[in-house]
Amino acid sequence: MKLAQRLVEFSIRRPKTVMAAVLVLAVALGGQIPRIIIDTDPENMLPADQSARVFHNRVKQDFTLYDMIVVGVVNEEDPDGVFNPTSLARIHELTRGIERIDGVIRQDLLSISTVDNVTQGGPGVVRFEWLMATPPRDRASARAVRDAAERIPTIAGTLLSEDGKAVAIYVPIEDKSESYRIAGEIEDIISGFDGEEQYFITGLPVAEDTFGIEMFKQMGIVAPLAGLLVFLLMWFFFRSFALVIAPMIVAMATVIATMGLMIGLGFPVHIMSSMIPIFLMPIAVVDSVHVLSEFADLYPRIADRERTVKVVMANLFTPMLYTSLTSAAGFASLALAPIPPVRVFGVFVAIGIILAFILTVTFIPAYIACLSPESIAKLQREKEHDSPFLARALARLGPRAVSGAKLTVVLTVIVVVISAVGIARIRINDNPVRWFRESHSIRVADRVLNEHFGGTYNAFLVLEAASDADGDHGTAGEIDSLLEEAATARDVDLIADWGEIHREAVAAPLTEHLDALVESVFTKLDEADDLEGELWDEVLVVLEVAQSEAKIFQTPEALNYVAGLQEELIRSGLVGKSNSIADIVKTVHRELRDGDARYFTVPETSPAVAQTLLSYQSSHRPDDLWHFLRPDYRAVSIWLQLKSGDNQDMLRVIEHVARYVEENPPPDGVTADWAGLTYLNVVWQNEMVNGMLKALLGSFVIVFLMMLVLFRSVVFALLAMLPLSVTIAFIYGLIGLVGKDYDMPIAVLSALTLGLSVDFAIHFLQRARASYRETGDWGRTVEELFAEPARAITRNAIVVAVGFLPLLASPLVPYNTVGFFLFAIMAVSWLVTLTLLPGVMELLKHRLFAGSPGGAE
Amino acid sequence: MKSIVALSITTLGLSLLALPSPLARPLAAQDLTDVAEIVRRANLASYYAGADGRARVRMTITDARGRKRIRQFVILRRDRSDGGDQDYAVLFSRPADVRNTVFLVQKHVNKDDDRWLYLPALDLVRRIAAGDRRTSFVGSHLLYEDISGRTPDADEHELVETTDTFYVVKNTPLDPGSVEFASWTVWIDKTTFLAWKMEYVDDTGEVYRRIEALEVAEVDGYPTVTRMQASDLRSGGHTIAEFSNVQYDLGIPESVFTERTLRNPSRRWFSVN
Repeated sequence: MKLAQRLVEFSIRRPKTVMAAVLVLAVALGGQIPRIIIDTDPENMLPADQSARVFHNRVKQDFTLYDMIVVGVVNEEDPDGVFNPTSLARIHELTRGIERIDGVIRQDLLSISTVDNVTQGGPGVVRFEWLMATPPRDRASARAVRDAAERIPTIAGTLLSEDGKAVAIYVPIEDKSESYRIAGEIEDIISGFDGEEQYFITGLPVAEDTFGIEMFKQMGIVAPLAGLLVFLLMWFFFRSFALVIAPMIVAMATVIATMGLMIGLGFPVHIMSSMIPIFLMPIAVVDSVHVLSEFADLYPRIADRERTVKVVMANLFTPMLYTSLTSAAGFASLALAPIPPVRVFGVFVAIGIILAFILTVTFIPAYIACLSPESIAKLQREKEHDSPFLARALARLGPRAVSGAKLTVVLTVIVVVISAVGIARIRINDNPVRWFRESHSIRVADRVLNEHFGGTYNAFLVLEAASDADGDHGTAGEIDSLLEEAATARDVDLIADWGEIHREAVAAPLTEHLDALVESVFTKLDEADDLEGELWDEVLVVLEVAQSEAKIFQTPEALNYVAGLQEELIRSGLVGKSNSIADIVKTVHRELRDGDARYFTVPETSPAVAQTLLSYQSSHRPDDLWHFLRPDYRAVSIWLQLKSGDNQDMLRVIEHVARYVEENPPPDGVTADWAGLTYLNVVWQNEMVNGMLKALLGSFVIVFLMMLVLFRSVVFALLAMLPLSVTIAFIYGLIGLVGKDYDMPIAVLSALTLGLSVDFAIHFLQRARASYRETGDWGRTVEELFAEPARAITRNAIVVAVGFLPLLASPLVPYNTVGFFLFAIMAVSWLVTLTLLPGVMELLKHRLFAGSPGGAE
Repeated sequence: MKSIVALSITTLGLSLLALPSPLARPLAAQDLTDVAEIVRRANLASYYAGADGRARVRMTITDARGRKRIRQFVILRRDRSDGGDQDYAVLFSRPADVRNTVFLVQKHVNKDDDRWLYLPALDLVRRIAAGDRRTSFVGSHLLYEDISGRTPDADEHELVETTDTFYVVKNTPLDPGSVEFASWTVWIDKTTFLAWKMEYVDDTGEVYRRIEALEVAEVDGYPTVTRMQASDLRSGGHTIAEFSNVQYDLGIPESVFTERTLRNPSRRWFSVN
């Protein structure tokens, strides 16, 4: 406490120094803010080396996949839907416009006007042509486009809806973080159209990028609004403009310095860390309100501002230190979470909390020391008619809390039991699209497009053969014996040549050994005489057979397995649509066989598949094949379209596939794994929930240990844990009962709950002890507790609970959640602190105060 | 060079072999100024060398990530008339899975080409009615039109520059809706009339596709592109086609190029050794 006194005295004696220091801090760190780097990519919720993310990125590379924006065009008015000449002309024009936007992967754009049709051109004639090279002139040709498209399984349900009312354009983009801009440019094109078509833009990249952009807009609107409301509420309580400015300065300086420090250290501002100001403001204000409240209550009695400040600080320094430490510990525990942005968020909120504490115990006394006597006098005058209602109400609450102890305890137990039921029902689920309110254009687009199409959420199920250990698929042994035999029987010795070729080939990447070998043998074959040529030919046959066998996904067995898996997925009803190499092979096979539906099958041999694919590649877009098939033919990617991006829905698909693969093992050596943004969201969600749970339990223990140190009493420490335990139980129980999904914001808010709700308990218990030590009487202690301390707690609860209600007006759901949480945390922990705590203390008073007055310290 | 296959031959000029080092050549006595004549001669040089021709072609298709695929085939060509209709036949030998697949084209100057495909593993002969010639040639970065030649009448030609070594001709399609490019520019060697480079420009004014002759050799008196590259500048992939065992004026009979012989391609004519 020596340190505390010295700090306070220094601040009062040298107020200008303190203020200058705060100013320098804010300016120096605030100056870093313009260097801000914004990162709105939820993928960064996973560390760059996280295995699922690494796999996802490898799959994107292996199959040349890009993140996609989905643009939907719907015509509900026309009897032919969008398949009328006017709508198709607009779709054609829109597609051409989108193709030209910078950042769009033009050659991979999917629209009915950029894909090929394969169909019949008369008996024995196959026709490969653009599905819609130019917009049709009349209704009959417009309908013909639809009829043709419906025959191509990779197009129907993906690029046009089953009812023909809508088409979708899939816009692959180079960089997710450009989605908002690109979506804007697409909107610009659309705004030049009129007519009965409706246009929708969605897709996870747009949702995520738009969220990031809107989030920063919200920071500029909602955060200042909350600040203003907090200010007004404090002014209402303390009636002194000059005095109330102080906490605002503390809050501002804390937010500016913390954000500045974070940005200055080079951390990008992620969705999580953009919320730091919203989290720090209430915490910074809470300490100051305690001080002001106490000051306002004591000053009229003591009438000397320096002495008052010293008394206030003597009373509050320890509880404030501990509340700050516990809050900071709660957030710092997030550093244990396996999610980098959450770690950064936790650590910097913790730093901010400590900073807020330091500012509260230095800046506030310095500020008060600088105040003019008039403004203090005003405070005194106002004080006389301030809050008589609040004071009286609280004074009456005290005895009732004591007398109704048993009832309170029983009620609390009931609430906790009901909450437990709710907690058991909590559903962990998230979907970035749901971070917007229902009425947001992204939510609307999401709903409409998923009604019409197989789904706008993408996941990729990758089936991959294990890589061959030596890269030559066991040919080396066979060839060695062939050559040895030839050397003796035929007197042709190619052993040395082969050895050389083989050594060179081994230097090539594993997957290319065979190709390299074939290549070298081929060159040898060209140069060889007849006798040697014959033998090289035999070697080549061995290699080519192996080469062909290595192409697992050219075999009918493997392709039929893929098709079976797809059928199962559709049967399960969990997946709206799926596209794979098997669909392409079957379609082309059918068209090669006069369009006969009976031949919608995988051909019966591997060369037949190869020749079917060769035919397919004689189209305008041969490279589309490689989105589904890895060029070494040893991996395929099945593109699943899901109607919902909810983690729960994705999880069901994952489980279903896992069961199917378990019961129907794929051809030898093939394993299944997942990629795609919808899947990645599931991964980081899982990690986060587990991480948060660990962090919450960890900080629970830390807080308890700190309470032990503070109170040096197990009973008091347990008491201090009561309000936060009940509050957390109540809030999470409520979430479970109401059926709100446990998502990212909610998970992170547990740390805030812990920090804020322990605050009231510490202040209350600390004062209870001090009073009892002074008075030696429980009744009088209760009376004192329900004077200044209860008033400070109440004012705090109201300032924070009401001050952050503007968050409820935000169009972004996570902001609403934070607003609601702050309100609920304040309300519940206020109620519990002022009713349950005195009640339980009443029941335990003999144990609690045994041997006192005196006690610790 | 436009032609992959046609392995251009030129009756004019006596170009030295290999290497596009146009500097080494004697200056042409008199520059041509009539763009139609330049285009006509280029068309003949690139697609109509000799009365017929044969070559073994190895295509290496490389994607943006450097992953390679090989296609190997023998191609035969027979002209019906210089600058007019001609026939092509392609017999695949690698990869082994597509061996003996045959592709036959009867190119017509004044109407759509006739194309046939024989797929031995499915035992199917199909006529291919392609909507246009600008589809990929078996998955490579070359198009059918690059192989059989774009009809000069399809474009409006403009001689944009005459350098020491090249006629630079810009070609604008008369029917822009039928093609995916806005225009293409070709660098025609003044001596051999082979195309050294072709660049295709899209509707944003950007060059998105390029074809270059990498090596030229004189074969049987005809300057012939023996190595060429087609690059897709959008995806970053490219195809290199190498021509070996090039021969001209073999006297290949018309019967080799008929639908009837697709299932039993002539060993004699398709054999290059």
